[in-house]
Amino acid sequence: MSVMALSQKKIKKTKIWLISGLLLVLLALVAYTFLYLKHDATMTDVGNRLASPSWEHPMGTDHLGRDVLTRLLLGFRLTVGYSMIALAAAVIIGVPFGLLAGLRGGWLDRVFMRIADGFLAFPDTVIAIVLSGLLGPGIGNLLFAIVLVKWVNYARMVRSTVLTEVQKDYITIARINGLSTFTIMRKHLLPHIIGNVLVLASLDFGKIILLISSLSYIGLGAQPPTPEWGAMLNESRPYFQGNPEMMVYPGLAIVAVVLVANVLGDYLRDKFDVKKEVQP
Amino acid sequence: MTVIEINHLKKSYNPDKLAVNDVSLSIEEGESLGLVGESGCGKSTLARCLLGVERVDGGSITFNEKPLANANRKDLRDYRRNVQTVFQNPTASLNPKLKIKDSLLDPYLQFQNELQLEHFHFTSKQAFVEQLLEIVELPKELGDRYPHELSGGQKQRVTIARAISIEPKLIVLDEPTASLDVLSQGAILELLATLQKSLGMSYLFISHDLAAVYQLCQRIAVMKDGELLDMFQKEDIYNSRRHEYTKELIGIF
Amino acid sequence: MILSIKDLTVSHGEKTIVDKVSLTIDKGEWFALVGQSGSGKTMLSQAIGQLLGPNLSASGSVNYQGANILVRPKTEMNELRGKAISYIFQDYHGSFTPFLTIQQHMDEYLQTHGVKEKQKRNSMIIEALESVGLDDSFVKRYPFQLSGGQLQRASIALALLLEPDILIADEATTALDSVSAHRILSLLQELQQKTGCAILFITHDWRHVVRYADKIAVMKDGKVIETGTKQKLVHQPEHAYTKQLIQAAPTLPMRVREVSKS
Repeated sequence: MSVMALSQKKIKKTKIWLISGLLLVLLALVAYTFLYLKHDATMTDVGNRLASPSWEHPMGTDHLGRDVLTRLLLGFRLTVGYSMIALAAAVIIGVPFGLLAGLRGGWLDRVFMRIADGFLAFPDTVIAIVLSGLLGPGIGNLLFAIVLVKWVNYARMVRSTVLTEVQKDYITIARINGLSTFTIMRKHLLPHIIGNVLVLASLDFGKIILLISSLSYIGLGAQPPTPEWGAMLNESRPYFQGNPEMMVYPGLAIVAVVLVANVLGDYLRDKFDVKKEVQP
Repeated sequence: MTVIEINHLKKSYNPDKLAVNDVSLSIEEGESLGLVGESGCGKSTLARCLLGVERVDGGSITFNEKPLANANRKDLRDYRRNVQTVFQNPTASLNPKLKIKDSLLDPYLQFQNELQLEHFHFTSKQAFVEQLLEIVELPKELGDRYPHELSGGQKQRVTIARAISIEPKLIVLDEPTASLDVLSQGAILELLATLQKSLGMSYLFISHDLAAVYQLCQRIAVMKDGELLDMFQKEDIYNSRRHEYTKELIGIF
Repeated sequence: MILSIKDLTVSHGEKTIVDKVSLTIDKGEWFALVGQSGSGKTMLSQAIGQLLGPNLSASGSVNYQGANILVRPKTEMNELRGKAISYIFQDYHGSFTPFLTIQQHMDEYLQTHGVKEKQKRNSMIIEALESVGLDDSFVKRYPFQLSGGQLQRASIALALLLEPDILIADEATTALDSVSAHRILSLLQELQQKTGCAILFITHDWRHVVRYADKIAVMKDGKVIETGTKQKLVHQPEHAYTKQLIQAAPTLPMRVREVSKS
């Protein structure tokens, strides 16, 4: 048992180090964009296109002579920022809806479940492509499509948690005491939900980044010259053979952020499990 | 004075069978009434009707001489404040994600504006929590723990503390000892008796355990198949006029 | 003497759950093992039939018909369970597969123990169910169509099908209300007198012991702290813990009279 506990502890420690390390790197990069940004991300300099790394351009320049590092860093703000907006919107719409559907039931719940079934029948990516295809390319429409796809997951998860919890005696007792539906939601149900939502959100965060990037890559999301990572990948496609690093940088950036999000998700899952310590 | 009166109460879940069939009983102030029967006899359904969790299909419940059927919002709130409950399963009765003190304060926070507590005097919520834990013989540090850190008996003490915290007139005890191990069972029964002596509320003690009911209650009612068969003072338990079914129950213990 | 347990120890890694317990159970007697949850009484009962989980190991000896069955190979033990030793458990729902009828359960049990003729199996099943007070309408029913008390009756019928020498009842009445529990207990007593099998009755409720047991052992923290005849333990308990157990269970005043009479 002691060996198991030890190795588990070790894994946990490694995880924490990994997250803190990666977060630190990312934060340093963001700080850099604010403090030291030397170049304009969209300023072209065709005379200096596809330059090798130098002091002036640590990651070289792209096919239009734009500084890759600058674009990458601004892209971080864009990609992460967009994902956060989409995620926040999905959570804000999904959680209250799930609470209500679970607690009230009735027609609201039935309508919701049919909508959820509809969305779950297709993969997220397909729906997002169809929607942003219908609405036309552009980051605004893409975000709208993502929120539309994602809120259902939150609502569904919250609903199922609520449905299991409401049957328990402590909720009955709260009702006997005349606590309002709102108070029961806030005091008794939210603590059950918050951990799950955070875990799901941190895992979704990585997925949304990938979704934004991949839709931008196929031209449905951010449009050139916006330095979004997926768009950058798309733009670097023709130069892949001669200058593969143009593709490698945004690719690595996406991998790093998604990795952090996933590790963070794992960590949060452990953290919100109140009972974990006592279980053998 | 009569705290609560139930008249010709009826409740059914399916059309062919009444879960509670024309039951009438009343509970006096400071009294504990025991309600005994096998599982499925309707005793818990009766409790749920009394607690307002189930709608009644016939008959009436009268609290403080006011029938609940035509109670207004304020009367209903008054009723809820005065009727608390302790259920069989202490683990399910406490929110696993809340600290003990937060669960304990739930009824108090709900009714604090209309409460005038006689037995508890405190200047802070923390002090109140400590008093409550003390009265149910738990160490006061438990307030900051989570339910899973407590034993079954301790958790049941917490739910009892929660029920008495707003000094209700009646506590409905639905099999409060049935899921506890034997030593905790005895201790909980003793605690309930002590609390009644010091706080003076009434109990409706529902159990399949006639001996436990005998230990705690002054009056005993016997239910079978939804009907109230027998009701008697504790002293009359061996009276020859007891219902045959009551005699059968007595034979078991 | 039907079963003699000597220095039985059950451990989980470094932790000892049952600590050098020795007991003897005589032919046809009702032996009650009383203790709180966590006292190790269930582990003790499971060790007897080699039913312990994979992380648990048992040492010492359990002697049945002059041989230590603790070291029997698994296949022989499967033979022995049912014919010599059988069990009923607290969780009567878990004892039945939800999609098999009562008859299918019992039929399979008889088949695995080598009762070949279909006719004979059927008559044995009906007879067994009758003996526990379930008429032949129960034969075709599924477990969920029976109440808790009825299911526990069915599991008793199943356990006694092959007339074992010893029946181990692990908290068999704990999940039932006291009225059904009492009916199950008196049924067990009746069947015990009819078949002459010994019962190792495991419980936490002293009241179940007083009426039915011949001999009692009190278990605490893995050890048997006191053992003796019912008369001795009820009237002159030596250990403080035994006294505590007796006191904790609520009783009706008549019961005290009854016991002192007997």
